[in-house]
Amino acid sequence: MNKIVFFGGKGGVGKTSCSAAFAVYSAKQGKKTLIVSTDPAHSTSDIFEMKIGMDVTPIRDNLDGLEIDAEYESDKYISGVKRSLGKVISPIIMEEINRQLDAASISPGTHESAVFDKMIEIIVEKTDDYDQIVFDTAPTGHTIRLFSLPELLGVWMDSLLAKRGRALEVSQMTKSVDRGSKAYLDHDPILKILNRRKTNMEKAREIMIDDKQLDFIFVLNAEKLPIEETKKAIDILKKYNMPVRKLVINRILPEKMSDDFWKIKKEDEIKYVAEIEDFFSDKSIAKLPLLPKDMRAHNIDDMAEYFKDAFTNE
Amino acid sequence: MSRYDEKIGFFQFMKEFFGAATDFNRKSKSMLDKEAMDQMDNFMLICFADNLGIPIPTSYYTLELLPYLAEDLEKWQRRMMSRKSIWQEKWGDWDLDV
Repeated sequence: MNKIVFFGGKGGVGKTSCSAAFAVYSAKQGKKTLIVSTDPAHSTSDIFEMKIGMDVTPIRDNLDGLEIDAEYESDKYISGVKRSLGKVISPIIMEEINRQLDAASISPGTHESAVFDKMIEIIVEKTDDYDQIVFDTAPTGHTIRLFSLPELLGVWMDSLLAKRGRALEVSQMTKSVDRGSKAYLDHDPILKILNRRKTNMEKAREIMIDDKQLDFIFVLNAEKLPIEETKKAIDILKKYNMPVRKLVINRILPEKMSDDFWKIKKEDEIKYVAEIEDFFSDKSIAKLPLLPKDMRAHNIDDMAEYFKDAFTNE
Repeated sequence: MSRYDEKIGFFQFMKEFFGAATDFNRKSKSMLDKEAMDQMDNFMLICFADNLGIPIPTSYYTLELLPYLAEDLEKWQRRMMSRKSIWQEKWGDWDLDV
């Protein structure tokens, strides 16, 4: 199993349960583990029945947790911009620009970018402190968008850099002093900022498409819709060069069913499991049972046991 | 009393006349300035198009450029918002009003 693991899948298939159980399992193996929730509707706190905050919170031995709060992250960033603005521009313009910044803090995409930034920060900075980092992500659509960001932004950043460079060059041509000197380009703060962003994006991108570093695990149930959604999602991720090599089928019914209703359910399930195994024959598939009771802090360990034999064919 | 009276010799006059008439440097400098301004406008546009109502994916990331661009942004936005001034600017490039 790679160092960084993402759990994704359709809403309601049990991503949080799976990622929590897996994190507990890996902590019990003696690996120092961090579980990160990127879903705006955090349920990691609920599963562990404790408050997990925006900073690293110890949960148990070897296991820490963290919940990314998009609002807090974007506010932090925007107030930072406001602070540095206050130093350089006149109060009149400040008024105008502040309005723009306030609009930006509620515009679509802001939260997404904030979560993405934080995710990168965790991946880049915390990899040395932990042996295993588990991400519990938002439902499929969100996550796929998040993973397509580096690609999209990379292109945009390139054009920003090119334009800025060109603009500086041309404005340099008419200057009689140090015409066209490279030093001038090196000192441009705007190019510096853009370049820093770009390097970060590239770093993240490298980690994301490196199958030695990152695993993306899809959670699904043995039902029609999750199967279809998983097929689509895996195709899209492939387009972004992200291989998905592991699946978890969650909520498998017990073998012995006496009741007619459940017998029919079980037959359907067997059919769907066969379909999954057939269609995703190139992936390793783990199966987790349906628990009679809700999964909470006290019985996570039972579920964690199931990961012992899962993905052994690695 | 013009500068070009009997005191200035014919050669001096010719020299000044052709010097000024063929001052390509001045012409090209203004062309370059124009070009630089256009380039800056373009850069502003791909950074802050969302101020004009065109959504862009990087609007979040260009916010941190504001401390360096805020002053320019103000002027740029005002120019972009007024269609008349844009047309004047762009027609001006063609020297049609000379």
